[in-house]
This record gives sequence, C-alpha cells and structure tokens, in this order.
Amino acid sequence: MKVVVVKPERCVGCLQCRFACSVAHSVSESQFTAPYETIVSKPRIHIGLTNGKEPFPNKCRHCNPAPCEMACITRAIFRDEATGIVLINPERCINCGMCAMACPFGVIRYHFFVDRRTSAHKCDQCFRRQKEGKIPACVEVCKVGALVFEEYNKDMDKATDQMASLVYLGIREKEHEKSPYPTLLVHKNILQEIKRR
Amino acid sequence: MNIIIIGASAAGLTCLDTLVRFSPESDITIVSEEPYVPYCRCLLTYYLGGTLKEQQMVIRDTTSYPANTHFLLGERVEKIDTVRKSAVLSSGKEIIYDKLLIAIGSNPVKPKYYDEKKKTFTLRYMDDAKKIEPHLRSRAIVLGGGFVGIKAVAGLTERNIGVTVVIGSRYPLSMIADEETSRFVEKDLKGMGVDIRTGEDIADIKEGNGSLRVSLSSGFELDSDVIIVGKGVKPRLDLAKQAGIKTDMGITVNEFLETSAEGVYAAGDCCQTMDIARNTIWVNAIWPVAIEQGYCAALNMLGAQAPYPGSVGMNSLKTRAFHLIVAGVLKAGEGVSIFEKYMPSTNQFRKLAIRNNVPVGMAFYNNPEDAGVIINLIKKGTPLNVDPAKIVSNELSMMDILKPL
Repeated sequence: MKVVVVKPERCVGCLQCRFACSVAHSVSESQFTAPYETIVSKPRIHIGLTNGKEPFPNKCRHCNPAPCEMACITRAIFRDEATGIVLINPERCINCGMCAMACPFGVIRYHFFVDRRTSAHKCDQCFRRQKEGKIPACVEVCKVGALVFEEYNKDMDKATDQMASLVYLGIREKEHEKSPYPTLLVHKNILQEIKRR
Repeated sequence: MNIIIIGASAAGLTCLDTLVRFSPESDITIVSEEPYVPYCRCLLTYYLGGTLKEQQMVIRDTTSYPANTHFLLGERVEKIDTVRKSAVLSSGKEIIYDKLLIAIGSNPVKPKYYDEKKKTFTLRYMDDAKKIEPHLRSRAIVLGGGFVGIKAVAGLTERNIGVTVVIGSRYPLSMIADEETSRFVEKDLKGMGVDIRTGEDIADIKEGNGSLRVSLSSGFELDSDVIIVGKGVKPRLDLAKQAGIKTDMGITVNEFLETSAEGVYAAGDCCQTMDIARNTIWVNAIWPVAIEQGYCAALNMLGAQAPYPGSVGMNSLKTRAFHLIVAGVLKAGEGVSIFEKYMPSTNQFRKLAIRNNVPVGMAFYNNPEDAGVIINLIKKGTPLNVDPAKIVSNELSMMDILKPL
C-alpha cells in the first residue's frame, strides 16, 4: 500500500498541489474548465506559513485509528478496508462539525458538494485516480519532492498513527506534575502488546 | 471469555467493536433496552427537523458481526449479581459473565410540570422523538438553552416551525460556554427568527382547543403545539446502586474504568472520570467521550491495563447561521487568563482560556477548521509554543503549533 508522504523541509510553497488537487476533484477534471464549474472544487491540501514564513503542507494523514472516523456520529467517515484510506460519504454527512473538532491536524473543511448541500471535505488520497492507475494529483505536480508517493513504511507512519491514537486517547507526552497517568512509552507498549496477541 | 455489554449506544458499541477486533474468540452479549437497531442519539434533533429519516440514523449493521456476538435488543438487565457474576434479564434469563460493561447512559432531567398528556416531552430516545413528531405543526416551545435545546431549535427551524426558547439562566449555553460566546449564539439565533426568553421558566400549562396555552413566570402567555424539554441529563445509577457498586455523581471508576466490583466496568454518560480541563472529577456526558471510554474499557477488559487519561467536555453546534465549537472551561478563574478576538467582517470569534501556558478551554465561532488542533493541546496538556493572542487574532496559521508535534 502506497501513501503520500509530506516532506515539509523541501516545500517552497508554490501552491501547485492545491490547484492540481482542486482540478482532480472537480467534475470535468480539466484545468481549463474546472474554475468555471457551478460549484468550484476546493483543494484538500493546505499550505500554511509558519512564523518564520516557511511553508508547511498539511493534509489528511489517514491515521489509524482515525479520530474523525470515531467521532463521526453518522458514520459518514469510513475506512476503505483494502487501501486503508479514510473516506467521507457526502450523502451521509450532516455537517455537525464533530470531525473538525476531533481532527488533531486541522485538515477538515466544509464546502458545497452539490447544489446547496454542504459536506465535510478532506484528502481522499485521490481514490478515484488511484483506481485508474494514476498517482495522486498533488504528488504528480510537486516539482521539489516535498510530496512523494511511497510504499507504506511502518516506521515512518508510526509516529502519525501513534500521535493520532494517543491524541484520541488523550495520552500526555510528558508526565504532568500531578497527573496520575503513565507516560507515552507505557501506552505504546500496551498497544503493541494487544496487537501481538 | 464471556462479556456482557449493557447499553448499545456510543460507549457500548465502541467497546463491542474493539473487542471484536482484538479478541474475536470472546463470546459477547450486548443488551439494549430499545428495540431499534443501534442508532445515534445525537441525530434525533435532525430527525425532528426532517433532514434525516429513521434508517439514516442507523450506525451499525447488526448482521455484519461474527456469530459469537449476540444482540439482545428490547431487553433490560434487571439485576447484576457481582458475587455470582451474572446478569438477570427482563425475560428471566440469567447470563454468566467474566467481564461486564455498564454503559446505560443517562436519563433526561424532568421538570415538575413534565406531563406527556400535556404534550411536554423530553428528547433523549427514539421513542421521544416519535412521540413529538406528530404534534409538530407551526409553533413549539423549547425549554432549556443547553445543547439539546439549541440543536432542537436548529432542527425545528429547518421545518419552518416558529420556536420560542425558554431559558432559566441569563444566556443560552450557560453550562458549557461563557456569556460572551453565548451572546453571539443568541444574536444569530434571533437572526434566524427564534424567540429567545432568558431568565424565565414555565409557570403553568393549560390545554386549549388543540394547542397549549403556556404562561411563563414573568406572566407572559403564549400558544404552542408542543413543549420539548432539554434540561440536561442525569447519569443512570439505579442498576449500579442495586448491585452494590459505588456511585457518586456517576458510577465511580478507577483509572482503568473498573468499578468497585471486580470485572465490572463502566463507560459513557453514566460514569464519572477526571476532567482534564477542570482538574476535578466530572461527568462529561457527550458522544466523543463515551467513545473514548468504550474503547479504553474494552482494552482493559482484555487485560491491557490501559489507563484512561481523563475527559474534556467539547461540543460542536452547527446551524444554518453559525458553527460553534467549544471545549474545556471558558470561565475566568484562578490562574486562568482569557484571550479573545472578534472579527466583525466575517462574524468570527475566537476565545482561548489558558492556565500556566497550557490551553484549558476554547470557543471558536464560525471558525471550525483549526479547532481540532487546539482541542488536541487541551487533551494532552501540551504547553503553547506560540503567543495565544496571535492565535485568537488569526495572525498565525496552526502550522506553528503543528510543526513541532
């Protein structure tokens, strides 16, 4: 299974990924007509500037367990078992805002998907394009190698997943002065232990 | 291992899913009082508003579970025997358990004039919504300015029903948000055509020809077809009390969510845990917390010794006019400093409460995108590495907080 890996230190902030993302999620999938569609497709990758004006590409990490998936009250957010991609079914979404509240990375936005109906939007790792054998649009246009499509590497994604699951469970990374709860390390062992069984 | 889960809502179902995932060989029985397929309670107001049909509220497919999972829908657990380790069902059947989860949730608080004959209903279960629905015509009164109340208002306005909200305190959402944030909610609700009466209570309800004549404590009288009560919820403790399990505000649990009886766990609205933002024992009766606790309880049932780190009260309220996300405590107190900023051009408001450089509360009005990042910091107790005044004024993106993580 391949995933999009973000390498923020390489990003120059050209925003080409944003444009390509919008085009890839538009109806016509053409860069010439996409801006003129009735509902203009919005990008699902966000480039923010840090204090030192360094660009930082931010997109859905498809965490496992995914906080948004667990927080979704209508089960509109689900995981595609075969690929592990977290997807949103816009028909079921009621815009309650629970996913935005749960997402520790702040990547969920609310946009129209059909006329006057809003739904949560986030990266679907170009599910549609991948089925056609193409790589995700943002990776295709990235000129500097800040976005790469790589084979899933457990070590690499571990940090994200752990953060997500720990965020989800609310484990504190540093022992709080009076906190009676054990540290992150203890919890990692617990989760591993369960997985091993 | 024989596991019984009492209650098939957020905590119970998450516990079930986690158990099925990590321990497929266990024999699991899940008991629910309600005869319906598991549905989501938070969606009841959308059901009243007509945006969702009953089958759209179903959140689990009971047929997709393995054969050793048994759903007992429409049955009650009458008694738990912690010595014999068994639970007696309403049908008279007795089931032996190794581990048991109490996730029976909470019951709505009923005011003294609560009377279903006078078309006064609470809104907690599917049955309540089904009782309310036939009475909805053109006017309704919602009693209580809490989350259920405001969500019911939002639902009813979708249906073009004129709503009057009767709120006991000075402003709506007084239990979860501060006055300033609530004023924005009040203003925008009024903009939606909702009649808001604060500092009032219902004094008398009279039945007239087809509709109700309701008089408020200030003497004001108005007509309504139905009254929906949203006066908060109370943990259901009867089952635990009768089994000799220790209770306080809710069922008391240790950090592994185990109650005073061995092998009996509690999760969800009925149990009390540490509130991270408040720093005291508290009952956070909300959906995401119930899910966390259900997950954590399942791990502990399997012997993982995973401590539950504590809950944070948080809520998201979205209507046609506004989207509010609140979490933690917002009221200024000892050592808590407040940062806030209102942006009139976009009708956005951000508020952040900080204690010892650690965020403890937030309210983002019409600004949902970055809320999760801050809630993550509240949950983990991570100190801020940036100037909080810049966060509320939206001068810096959340990337500064995210990048070091």
